[in-house]
Amino acid sequence: MPEAMERRPRVLVVEDEDSIAIALDFIITREGYEHERIATGNGALDHIRKTHPDLVLLDVMLPEVSGYEICQGVRLDPTLSHVKILLMTANGSAIGMRKGLAMGADGFIAKPFELAELKKEVRRLLTAADNGAPGEAGR
Amino acid sequence: MVRPAKPVDDWDMQMLRKLSLRTRILLIFAGLAAGAVVALVAGLWLGHRRLGSPDTVDAFVQAGVIAGFLIVGLVTLVWYLFDLNVAKPIDVLAGALRARTHADAGGNLDAAVARYLGDLAPAATAAAATLRETRSALAEAVARETLRLGQENARLETLLSDVPVGVLLCAGDGQIAFYNASAGETLTTGASIGLDHKITDYLRAGPILMAYDRLMRAGDADAASDLICTTVDGARVMAVRMRLMSDETETRPGYVLTLRDVTTDLAARTRTDALLAEIFDRLRRPVANIGMLMAAEPETGEPVDTALRAEVASLAAAVTDLADRHDAKRLEGWPIAMARASDLLDALKARLSNAGIDAEIDAAPLLLRCNGYDLIALIGGLCSRLAETAHRHLRISIGEEETGAVVRLVWEGDPLPFAKLERWLAEPVDAERPQLRLADVIVAHATDIWPERLDGNHAGLCLPIREARREVGRPPPIVRKVVHDFDLLSQSRSAKVADTRLENLTCVVFDTETTGLLPQQGDEIVQIAAVRIVNGRQVDGEVFDSLVNPGRPIPLSSTEVHGITEAMVSLAPDVDTVLQRFHHFARGAVLVAHNAPFDMEFLRRHEKRIGLKFDNPVLDTVLLSAVVYGQHASHSLDSLTDRLGITIPEEARHTAIGDTRATAEAYLKLVQILKGRQLTTFGDVLVEVRRHGRLLADLNTDEAIQK
Repeated sequence: MPEAMERRPRVLVVEDEDSIAIALDFIITREGYEHERIATGNGALDHIRKTHPDLVLLDVMLPEVSGYEICQGVRLDPTLSHVKILLMTANGSAIGMRKGLAMGADGFIAKPFELAELKKEVRRLLTAADNGAPGEAGR
Repeated sequence: MVRPAKPVDDWDMQMLRKLSLRTRILLIFAGLAAGAVVALVAGLWLGHRRLGSPDTVDAFVQAGVIAGFLIVGLVTLVWYLFDLNVAKPIDVLAGALRARTHADAGGNLDAAVARYLGDLAPAATAAAATLRETRSALAEAVARETLRLGQENARLETLLSDVPVGVLLCAGDGQIAFYNASAGETLTTGASIGLDHKITDYLRAGPILMAYDRLMRAGDADAASDLICTTVDGARVMAVRMRLMSDETETRPGYVLTLRDVTTDLAARTRTDALLAEIFDRLRRPVANIGMLMAAEPETGEPVDTALRAEVASLAAAVTDLADRHDAKRLEGWPIAMARASDLLDALKARLSNAGIDAEIDAAPLLLRCNGYDLIALIGGLCSRLAETAHRHLRISIGEEETGAVVRLVWEGDPLPFAKLERWLAEPVDAERPQLRLADVIVAHATDIWPERLDGNHAGLCLPIREARREVGRPPPIVRKVVHDFDLLSQSRSAKVADTRLENLTCVVFDTETTGLLPQQGDEIVQIAAVRIVNGRQVDGEVFDSLVNPGRPIPLSSTEVHGITEAMVSLAPDVDTVLQRFHHFARGAVLVAHNAPFDMEFLRRHEKRIGLKFDNPVLDTVLLSAVVYGQHASHSLDSLTDRLGITIPEEARHTAIGDTRATAEAYLKLVQILKGRQLTTFGDVLVEVRRHGRLLADLNTDEAIQK
């Protein structure tokens, strides 16, 4: 556990819109996490396989490859089981949320969301990752 | 088996019967003459032999010839008179009667011809006259009815031609037997509509045949099926209701289609939906961006900064709230009816087995709000594509979920890659409608679809349906509320009640159930039911039936009679409210009740409080029964209905509506009997009823009758 505490959790933001990506970069860094961003869905899955982030902040509407597809790809890969996914979508309907969770997302927030809501979800998922997979977290 | 030979004399009799009456009589007389002559000759010959002297031969011959001629002459004379006065008149009478029986010959029979036949000729004349009267009365009645039916037919055609809804009548094989102007207009696209054409020349066959099969399987004559169907060229979308025409003689009965063109409605809806979706999408992103950008900036505590943050937060809240409200109302006003889950899956299974796909189905007892035909096309299309990717054994279920339902397609194996699903959804639903993609069906149902991984090496597709409700048996057949009586158009409506013929009276027959028998001591109505009789028949759709909260306890002894408990009336309206509604229902009608004074007492004690007067003319079936059957017969409702051959179903007895219907039937029959006694108007009956005033009080004031 102490070993895990030493390493800063790594958050990958997959988001094509620059404005929110800039804001998220700033906020995530301020929260004390390591931050990385890619702007298209294409290649996102490979990037995740390579870097094994602790949390992927994933926009659903992406050019080329949709967020759902990336989500399904991560969940079908057993080596990525510790990677948590927080879906961000502009479709806030109940059915949209069910679809997100069914596709394997660990959390779901609808745009526009508040900072407090985002921070709470991110913290919840990273804590769960620590508790749920302590061994992997130190890898 | 040997057939016994026919006796010869029997054959002779048959020959005889074929001859005419007069010939037979002639033969009888000829036989008589011949017999007499033979007897004479034999007698003379015997006398001559006994005498033994040959020289007397001449004398014997002479006597014989003279006697012979006399006998023959006499018999001929008698025959002639008989023939002239009996046989010939009988023939003439028979001929005339036959003429009147088979052909419609008029005129009197010639009585002089048959003056020696006693009463036969007058009797035959009377019979012929009665026959003629009956026949002409029947012909008149038929002509009258034919004319009336013809007029009603014409009126119905006029009505149907003007209704803005398209109405079509099709034979079981789809041939159009009737269409109104509106149906003609909506369906005429290029080829104009024509009788005897097939409906499927105009409307796409799939949904029509599916609805027809569903109705045939349901086997319920009153069931109707709602469907959405496009014209053959796909240009127009119709909301269609199909109802089978019940005809037990046909194995494939015809059906009625009512069409409503919903093309513009649906198009406008689709455009509005798309616009709203775009509005929310294009608002959500920038609002989210601004919110996060604001959050990234450290708060300065300056008033402008604080105000800006508050505004952004309230904008975000507003967008979220509006989007949620829009989401909750997505299907409101969608012109699509509920479809039975089991019907959907049955049709789907049939479609799949035609395509060689083995599907196991499992439908919860639910009704789904969906476009059944398109939904089946969507799921069927997905199944076919799954089958092509080696998932040939599929399990399709429809289950309940929250306020809606969910369709699940399950197979053994890996989940469907999301990208593949997306590709499939971009493909057309069927070859006939290349412009309609599978995804469009999903969007039209305001839902979504996704692949999922299930336990034990199973995977599936999940398609929620937003609106569903539990099936509660087949809904009870709706009384078709076609309420018409064209005779109202022709009656002079100004006739005073007293002069109105009984069969033309508009009556409201009613019955009350009460807490007890003593209104003076506070007993109150707990149920009141009524039906309307217009132009001599009960109007099916016009029924008043209401429980009443009596505002006082219902004694157990009363509950045992009518079965109404305090719990049943606890939520019912109070007596004032119900009586106001009843007053409205009975406006302008004659009130009819069995033992009317009892029921009227319960109504009239509230007149002051509700500010309305029950001053309608009143007829009491007890009094009418007394007029018809005499005062000493029993006039209870049971005895009366029994005498008139009316049966009240046991479960309906002592329910207000059951007794009301029985009273109404009894009233209609009593009116027929009274008519037979020349009591034809309300006034006539009233005079007669008042003679029985000793039996029961008559409730009619003079004002009521003059109304």
